[in-house]
Amino acid sequence: MQRAAKCALRRDLSRAFCPSSVRNCRAVKRVNSSVLCRRYSVLPPPRDEEEKAMLDSMLRVDHAGEYGANRIYAGQMAVLGRTQTGPLIQYMWDQEKMHLERFNEILGEHRVRPTLLLPLWNIAGFALGACTALLGKEGSMACTVAVEDSISEHYNSQIRTLIEADPERYTELLQLIKEFRDDEIEHHDTGLEHDAESVPGYLILKTVIQVGCKAAIYISQRI
Amino acid sequence: MAALIRGLRAGRVLRGLGSVAVQGTLSPQCSNVRRGFHRAALLRLANDSKSDTSVPPPSYHEVDTAGESSSSSAHGESSEDAQPNTSFQDQSGEHGEDYETEEQLQARILTAALVYCVCVVNAAPSESTGWRFTTNHRPGFTDEMLIGRCLQGRNCISKKTAEFLRDAVEMRLRMLIPYIDTWPRAMSILLLPHNIPDSLKHLSTMVDDIWYYAGDRSTDVNWYTRRAALTGIYNTTELVMVQDSSPDFEETWAFLDNRIKDVVNMANTAKQVQATGEAVVQGLMGAAITLKNLTGMNQRR
Repeated sequence: MQRAAKCALRRDLSRAFCPSSVRNCRAVKRVNSSVLCRRYSVLPPPRDEEEKAMLDSMLRVDHAGEYGANRIYAGQMAVLGRTQTGPLIQYMWDQEKMHLERFNEILGEHRVRPTLLLPLWNIAGFALGACTALLGKEGSMACTVAVEDSISEHYNSQIRTLIEADPERYTELLQLIKEFRDDEIEHHDTGLEHDAESVPGYLILKTVIQVGCKAAIYISQRI
Repeated sequence: MAALIRGLRAGRVLRGLGSVAVQGTLSPQCSNVRRGFHRAALLRLANDSKSDTSVPPPSYHEVDTAGESSSSSAHGESSEDAQPNTSFQDQSGEHGEDYETEEQLQARILTAALVYCVCVVNAAPSESTGWRFTTNHRPGFTDEMLIGRCLQGRNCISKKTAEFLRDAVEMRLRMLIPYIDTWPRAMSILLLPHNIPDSLKHLSTMVDDIWYYAGDRSTDVNWYTRRAALTGIYNTTELVMVQDSSPDFEETWAFLDNRIKDVVNMANTAKQVQATGEAVVQGLMGAAITLKNLTGMNQRR
């Protein structure tokens, strides 16, 4: 991107010139060059192979997660779309669509490989959403609660990893993940409000779905 | 533009590779090739600058002398710069001075890195240097940097994408022409079991680069199918080229044309099949609803 190219040049110039020549950059008091560029893209330019690999796998699994959540809501809508819970599920689905859009942009911009198992998550997500929706509104809410619980826990562990690594460097990415995590927690709470726990076999259903999500996350990070 | 940034990364890789292999003096053949590449690179830069309306063309003299002096200096140390992210489309209207300075700097680095790469591969193949020789035979990054720089003006519509792919693969294969006699031996070295991980990595990075500069930003299974298709095209065309004896490898380029057409046709067919499938599903749903209406099952009582 031209903006990032501008960043690169600014990084070079900042070593020679006063950083006040740079417009619209915060933390000007620091000459730390990575700060100057962060305004323009979510990820900092990778400084070595390891960091690129780590960020790649994080973004890959996040993208896979949002894709899967998208398909789960699609499955739920296919069954319950014309009932009373239709608008609620549609609202949550629209938020997931926004998340997926954002991740698509980031993956394209930073040349991150998407996971090979996307077709599998496509089918599995739709099937999970449709099957739990067949258990009624409570079933679909229970599925939502389980999945959103898994995803928000996963986002939290990513946030922890990034903060442990270098909070300053990953500020934008942290902000993005925190925002998405808050949305997922909101979905989780919405599910609980709408009688998720009253579905028969709630605990079993929740455990099975969460084990499946953990397996999906593990695989998507690698493949 | 994006391609030049990639070239910086390429230079860093080459520095790592080349530091192993460069020994001894440069042959006169090498310096002729170097000059040829140099001129070619400058010409391409000029052509691209003319097509790139928002950027004033860098002055020939400045780039030329800068290139010569930096190429005679140490090994790609100028490529130490870190890699900012760039994308395929560049709009640089607002940043006239910065942009030009960066362009000229990168043009210098580009020519220096490219020249360096070419000189390294002139070592005669031998048992001990066989692997290093072959490694330097795959200057994947540098090529795509140059290719991207040359052909960046194109938009990513499918016909132009096909042309871009064709030109990229042709340009990359043309770089093998000076070494075509020993290339089969190099290919067999690349296929040795302990070299396969590295050669696969080179190949996949090159194919990824070509698609990226062709404008591919897909984030689904198309990412894989496109790269697999291009890998197949590249490998088969390389094999054809190695045993081609026509003047200027015309048969190879014809073969490449046909393969690219095949891939484009297949992609279009896949799209058509999908559209037809959707239409059929719609039709079936309509038929089912009609049946339900006819039998009175749709009424609410």
